[in-house]
Amino acid sequence: MSDSTAGSDVPPPAVPEERGDFAGLVPAPIAGPFRKSWAWFDDRTGITGLLYKGLYEAVPKRGGWAYTLGSATLVVIIVQFFTGIFLLLDYVPSVTQAYGSLLYLRTDDLFGDWIRGIHLWGAYTLMLLIGVHALRTFISASYKKPRELNWISGVMLFFLVLAMAITGAMLPWDQASYWTAVVVTNIPHYLPVIGNGVRALWRGGDFVGPLTLTRTFALHIWVLPALLLGLIGGHLYLLRRHGEFGSWVNYRTTTDDPEKEIAERIRHAEPPYPTRGSEPRYSVPSETVDFFPDQLFKDTVVSLVLVIFIFVMALISGAPLDGPANAATLTYVPTPEWFYLPLDQLLVFFPTELIGFGVFVVVGIGATLMLALPFIDRNPERHPIRRPDVLVPAFFFIGTVIYLAMLGVNRLYNL
Amino acid sequence: MSMGRVSRRQFLVRGTGAMAGLITAMLSVPAVGLLLSPLWAANKEIWVTVQGGPIDDIPEGLPTARIAAVPLGFGPPAPAVNRVVYVTKYQGQLYAFCNICSHMQCDVHWEPSLSLFECPCHGGLYAITGRNVGGPPPQPLSQWVHRVYVDAQGKHYLQIANRLQEQI
Repeated sequence: MSDSTAGSDVPPPAVPEERGDFAGLVPAPIAGPFRKSWAWFDDRTGITGLLYKGLYEAVPKRGGWAYTLGSATLVVIIVQFFTGIFLLLDYVPSVTQAYGSLLYLRTDDLFGDWIRGIHLWGAYTLMLLIGVHALRTFISASYKKPRELNWISGVMLFFLVLAMAITGAMLPWDQASYWTAVVVTNIPHYLPVIGNGVRALWRGGDFVGPLTLTRTFALHIWVLPALLLGLIGGHLYLLRRHGEFGSWVNYRTTTDDPEKEIAERIRHAEPPYPTRGSEPRYSVPSETVDFFPDQLFKDTVVSLVLVIFIFVMALISGAPLDGPANAATLTYVPTPEWFYLPLDQLLVFFPTELIGFGVFVVVGIGATLMLALPFIDRNPERHPIRRPDVLVPAFFFIGTVIYLAMLGVNRLYNL
Repeated sequence: MSMGRVSRRQFLVRGTGAMAGLITAMLSVPAVGLLLSPLWAANKEIWVTVQGGPIDDIPEGLPTARIAAVPLGFGPPAPAVNRVVYVTKYQGQLYAFCNICSHMQCDVHWEPSLSLFECPCHGGLYAITGRNVGGPPPQPLSQWVHRVYVDAQGKHYLQIANRLQEQI
């Protein structure tokens, strides 16, 4: 049992009777008068098999509410794509017209500011959601073999979303957006050797100008979303390949003979379990349910609550629009969005000679530690109590980030 | 050397690779060129007169913010952008400071209570000569490339170019 990959020599599980037909799955009109058309379509596409594979995937039974965070993240990202496309109907990516187009949305279009509000509150929600999703994954040690790349692709998605947020914040070309553009596009200039060149490429010259806006716009609506969609595809593929890990509660043994109990679980595992390449003990959850409808119902409840929150916040709070961009101001105090406060506070701490070190080395080490977590944490334990060697440093890291943010709030808003 | 030793399979594999490489190269040259063009675009020097009239009345030792509409030297047509010129007379010297902080390029202002230039973002401080006296900024406050123009009445006007004396 010891080191061999679990699940070899296991016969494929039979399809349980209650899922044998698709009456509940295929909408009634298709099952009824359109049955023949459906059969024709299925014959050409294999859609039924795909739906079956997609929907009747086994997921761990216990802790299902905690496993809704990933799908909620996906739903909010879809909300961002959706509202982003609608903003494109009216937004003009030009230094002379961008502000006016958003002012038009605000004052003359009944729904314009609402859509902008959803896009903004969607972004805020997404930040928090990704944080909680990552925290959940971290605490449950779901990144351990063979799910290292699930974690790494997730961290890369987080970085991409941060990049989406910062490029998006530069587009309205109001004061907040202009000064965000100035500060953010200036940061690459602290790179050794190529710094000034990178800044000139992004800005389209030495100063922030028309090309800064169009280039950032291109990043925000095409380059980053394309990368994002690709990585999401990979992230989901890996999730489906290895199955949802769940958490330690799914792998407890209750009998006197754990070896036998685990072997029994592996024998009765449903796809995608037993997880290939996993320790046998953690290759099959003790109890599973079908993704559809059990898990999907919970996923939908959480997504609904979040979308209601975004929808209502967009309606009552909307999205701010400062005065138009003014490079000649003497009184404007540029402030970062709240999720960039920790990084902004770091800038205060690094003196003259260490700015580049602070921006690239310190932040780079933080980012590398996040990416490399599955390789740093060699502890085979899954229960958080028995993993103090990673949990204590990680919570110190998280605490530092929160403390930096609080210092930033204190400095900028004089609380 | 001996072409005869290239098998049909090798020919197909290498041929496919070579053709894909050619397609990539054809698309990359203009695309990367467009991306990099700001690096070699010639920045045309344009001079403008600082607004607000002659600078004769600006008091010694008090940096005074004036506006200049500075056009970009290259890129798509765009209106000139209003920029701050801190006209500063101090110990017989005339300075034409740009109010861009050398740290993260926020908007520096003259703070009378400190008698220093102060940046609101991360607390950078500069003396009246632009010298660094506090906070993280790595370089002094930069000046616009400038010159003084005297009109027929003997009044002095400040003119600036659309670039800074030192890159920040």
